[in-house]
Order: sequence, then C-alpha cells, then structure tokens
Amino acid sequence: MTEERQGFPVGQDGEPHGDSPAPTSSFWTRKSELVLAGVVLALGFVVLIGTADVATGAATFGPGPRFFPVLVGGALLIVGVCYVIDVLRGGHGDPEESEDVDTRAPADWRAVAMVTLVFLGFASLVDLLGWVVAGALLFFGLAFSLGARKPLRTGAIAVVLSFATYLLFVRGLGVTLPAGLLEGVL
Amino acid sequence: MTSFELLLDGFATALTPVNLLYALLGVTLGTIVGVLPGIGPAMTVALLLPITFSVPPASAFIMFAGIYYGGMYGGSTTSILLNTPGESSSMITALEGNKMARRGRAAQALATAAIGSFIAGTIATGLLVMAAPLVVEFAISFSAADYFALAVLAFTMCSAVLSKSLVRGLASLTVGLAIGLVGIDQQTGQDRLVFGVRQLFDGIDVVIIAVGLFALGEALYVASRLRHATPEVIPVGRAFMGKADWKRSWKPWLRGTALGFPIGALPGGGAEIPTFLSYAVEKKLVKQKGEFGKGAIEGVAGPEAANNASAAGTLVPLLTLGLPTSATAAILLAAFQQYGLRPGPQLFDHNPALVWGMVASLFIGNAMLLVLNLPLAPFWAKLLRIPRPYLYAGIVLFAALGVYALNNSWVDLIVLYLLGVLGFAFRRYGLPIAPAVIGVILGPMAEIQLRRAVAIGAGDVSVLVSGPISVTLLAIAALALLAPLLRKLVSWRYAGATRG
Repeated sequence: MTEERQGFPVGQDGEPHGDSPAPTSSFWTRKSELVLAGVVLALGFVVLIGTADVATGAATFGPGPRFFPVLVGGALLIVGVCYVIDVLRGGHGDPEESEDVDTRAPADWRAVAMVTLVFLGFASLVDLLGWVVAGALLFFGLAFSLGARKPLRTGAIAVVLSFATYLLFVRGLGVTLPAGLLEGVL
Repeated sequence: MTSFELLLDGFATALTPVNLLYALLGVTLGTIVGVLPGIGPAMTVALLLPITFSVPPASAFIMFAGIYYGGMYGGSTTSILLNTPGESSSMITALEGNKMARRGRAAQALATAAIGSFIAGTIATGLLVMAAPLVVEFAISFSAADYFALAVLAFTMCSAVLSKSLVRGLASLTVGLAIGLVGIDQQTGQDRLVFGVRQLFDGIDVVIIAVGLFALGEALYVASRLRHATPEVIPVGRAFMGKADWKRSWKPWLRGTALGFPIGALPGGGAEIPTFLSYAVEKKLVKQKGEFGKGAIEGVAGPEAANNASAAGTLVPLLTLGLPTSATAAILLAAFQQYGLRPGPQLFDHNPALVWGMVASLFIGNAMLLVLNLPLAPFWAKLLRIPRPYLYAGIVLFAALGVYALNNSWVDLIVLYLLGVLGFAFRRYGLPIAPAVIGVILGPMAEIQLRRAVAIGAGDVSVLVSGPISVTLLAIAALALLAPLLRKLVSWRYAGATRG
C-alpha cells in the first residue's frame, strides 16, 4: 500500500499550510508545490528500492524485469530533483482553469476534507450497505459537501439516481453490484 | 483491395441497424460529456470500457469514436454560451464565440462551429482514409527498436508541448510510467511494486487510473475552490446562419482543417495547438480588423474546424502505429488492448472490418452530430444549468460505480481515491494530466519493445540507435527535451552580451 503513503501527504500536508496564518506559513504557502515535487522524488526511490528484490532470472533473454523500472526510477529521481530546484528558484505551475473554479479564491480545505470523508466512508460501507443505499449516501454527502442546501430535493435525487443506476447496470447490463441491506427486496 | 473498396465494406459494417444505434448512442453521449464541465471523452470511454465486454469490438469502437467526435462538438457549445470551455480544445472558441453570443449572435456562432466541425471532420476523415494505408505500408518495416523510439518520441513530445513548464510535463509523464509498472511483469511473471497487495497483481486497471485522475481529481479540485455564483448561460434558439456568415466562414473552415489534421497526427500535437494556430491565422487574415476580439465569426469557424480535424488526425498514428497522441487516444488504445487487439499494421491486415467499420462510422457520426447540434442546441444549453453540487456528485457517483463494478472491491475504491488526490495535486500545480495517462498506457508497451529490441541485439543497447528510423525519432525526441534548455541558454548569452 505504498501508493497510499505516497498519495496522502499531498492532501494532508497541504491542508494546514494552505491558509494558516502561522509565521512559518508564508514559505509553505508559496512553496507548497514542494510537497508534490517531493512525492515525485520519493516515488523514484520507491520504484528503485521496491523493485530491488525482483530477480533478473538467468533464463530470460536480454534485459530482465528490472531493466525498465530502473530507467523509470532514474528518470523520476532526475525529474524530481529538477522539479524541487525549479520550485525553490521561484517556478510555479498555474492552477488549471475551469469554468467552475475560481483560481483566485483561497482553497476551501473544509470542502475537500468533507468530500474525502464521504468518499472513504462510502468505500468502507458499500460492501455492507449495498450499492443502492451506499450510492445514495455518497451522492447526498457529496452534493451537501459541495454546497447543495435543499436536503429533501437532494435526497430524492440521490435515491432516484442510485436506484436507477442499480436497475440499469444490474438488470440491464448484467454488471454485478451488491444488494446489501436491500437483499431480497430488489 | 484498394482503401476505397475497404471503406465501402466498412460502411456495410457501420450501417447495420445495431451499429447505427451504437454510433447514435456514442455521439449523443459524446455531446453530453462535451457540453458538461468536469467530464470529458477520455473519462467517458474509460468508464464504458468494462461494460462493453459483452459488445462486439466493432460496435464498441463505433461507439467510442462517436464519443470522441461528439466531445469535440459539445465543447464548443459550452465555450460559446458560458465563456469558459467544456474541453481544453475549445478554449480558443470561447474568445470570439462568447463575445458573439453576448452581441446576440449565439445562434450564428453555434452554427458556424457545428457546420465547420462537420466539414472539417468529414474532410479530415477522408484524409485519414488516404493517409492510413500509406503509413501502414511504411510501418510494416518497423523494428522493435523503431517502435521503442516512437514511444520515446510520444513521451517527450507530450510532456514538452502540453505544459508551459517542461519539468512539470515530465513529472506527470514519469509518475504515469511508474504507475504503469505496478503488477506482474508479462514476460517473466515476476511481480513488481505490488507490496503484497493481492488486488495489485494484475496492475492498476486503466479504468481506475483514468477515472481517478480525471473524475475524482476534478471533483476534489472543484471542491477546493468552487465558484459559488451561478454561471451565466446565454439563452439561444435554433442554431442557424445567413449568407454573409457562410461567406465569411468557409475559408476559415478549410484553413482550420489544413492545420488540424496534420498537427493532430503528430506526437504531442493534440487538439489545442492547431486551434491556437488557426485563431492566429484568422486574426491575421481577417478583413475587418476591428471586429476581432469583439466577436468575429472567423475566430470561431477556424478553431472549431481545427479541433475536429485534429481528432481525425489523432486516429492516424493510433490505428497505424498504436501510438496515442492525446489522452483520449491513449484510452482508446487501452480499449484495443482489452479486446486483445494491437493497433498497428497487423490490425489493418487481420481486422479490416473493425478498422474500416470504425472509419466509416466517423462519416456517419459526423452527419448525426450535425443534426444533433443545429436544431438541438437549446436543449444541450439546458445541461449547463445543472446545479454544480449535483453535477459533481453525479460524476463521482458514476466514477465510483464504474470502478466498483470492475471487481466489487473496496481496495479499488481506495486506489481510486489516491489517484484522485494525485489528479487534484496535478490540477492545483498546473501539471498536465495527458502525459501521465499516456505514460501509464504506452509505458508497458514501450517496455516490451525495448526488451525485445535489446534481446534481438543480444544484450547490446546500441541496437536502439542502429537504424535510420529510430535514430531520427530519438533525435527529434532529444530536441524536444533540449529545446527549452537551449532557448534559456541563448537568452542568457544574449542577456550577458547586452549587459557586458
């Protein structure tokens, strides 16, 4: 699960530094991209060390299964170092523009945390609750996190959507989804 | 058989009622996801990958191609009516298109975009029919080393071109390559980077990667800085245009096509660059200088033609060489792999019905899109009024559904979330997503060709630069990497000379 350890720092470390007014925050606010650059660099080590135990195998012709990973790991290290240097020297990428995004607004970490909680909650409960219940909760929770403020309407849409997708995919397309709590009812 | 006869056979495949239905489904879905922000053709095709297992490949690719073309049409509607593009390839359209709409000429802007897309798409698909057999003939002599060099060229070009900052493009690419390593090595059966997690042995499914980087990444990013004001959508009726607009549009359409097709076919070309170029060309050539920047129809006609022509151009290297030059093309390549097919010269030999059926369906899909987009423009515009919390919650619901349906495994959902965080970080710091997607999908194929080439050379790595084709390709790739550095060096020198 190194992927997990790789991924989390971006969200978590960025969080406190994003808008906290602590004296050290100015450096981290300006240089928060270092976290991502660090992830690239760290991924290089993960690739090199993580494939160290891959045996070359004498029977195979030509380069073995570690040949390409070493190239990729090396490239990650070089790119990671260049990336760190670039950020330290004042380089920065412009946030992607999109119609629903206000690039000048301060980051709303509360919404991100809520989306995260809702999604991870969904991931841990879907086996137990089944698609229809968990899916409806996912939609409701996300819409609420993103600012929907009419609980009845949102709830109705959530139930209709998760029910409709279940019928369409399970009955219509033959995809397997757990019925969970509604086992026997559906 | 000549390619014309093959194309006629292709029409026989594409014109069956079932395949017509798949084409209609594809172009409709494509238009919807093109219009809607936060979701694009690449992610849509990825989400549909698992449920198309029960569908014959020809039908699936007819639908996918429809989604690809439809996305190009739908993006322009958003650009014109909302001032901000649904797809990056429609960015330029917003410049003049939205100003036209504000001046009450939304119907004409939509019409020139739709008709221009139709004409460009049709001509460019015709060019694809002519160009593909030529490339196939050339590619038949390609060695493993040449294919590896081609992949390296695609990697470097997409990293160098798609981002303002080379190091960020390369960071995206290398992270993608690393993700592509996860799983069992196909040649030796050894597991790499799975860290004992059973679900990772087959590698991370391309559906999870695409949906995580695109859908969940977008949702998290939007959550972090959602614009809370409701977007202003300019009301519009049926799209139409008069004689004067036709007269001003037809030349930009043709010029846009001429730019879009060849650039789309180049590694790293994509759809954005030809639209920029087309806009610049039209701005230079326009007669009433004052109108540009205030809503000149030429500035919509040219770029819209260019982005549709580039979609056809992208299919040339994809079908003939198995080389993706955009994120959507990379996902299409993954779709071929899911069916056990390998795009390249052999595909034209072994599956002519599939290839030519898909190409023929592009002509049909284009005609369908014209009908869908001219009279139905007001209907698509309504999609833009969906409240954003519902829109993004819905996108994530479908993302979770598509991923969970793969194996009914919560581990996949966790991986999906982590890739979403990565996609979020990429957006936050301006890293392009496409190089990562291309790296994930093309990386394992590049590895196979690399190992094959070196094995043929009995372990001697110099085999990679032994042929004229591979040397040329690698030289261009090196140039793409070094160009920004050289430019910097020259400007330093220059700055030093003027100072000293």
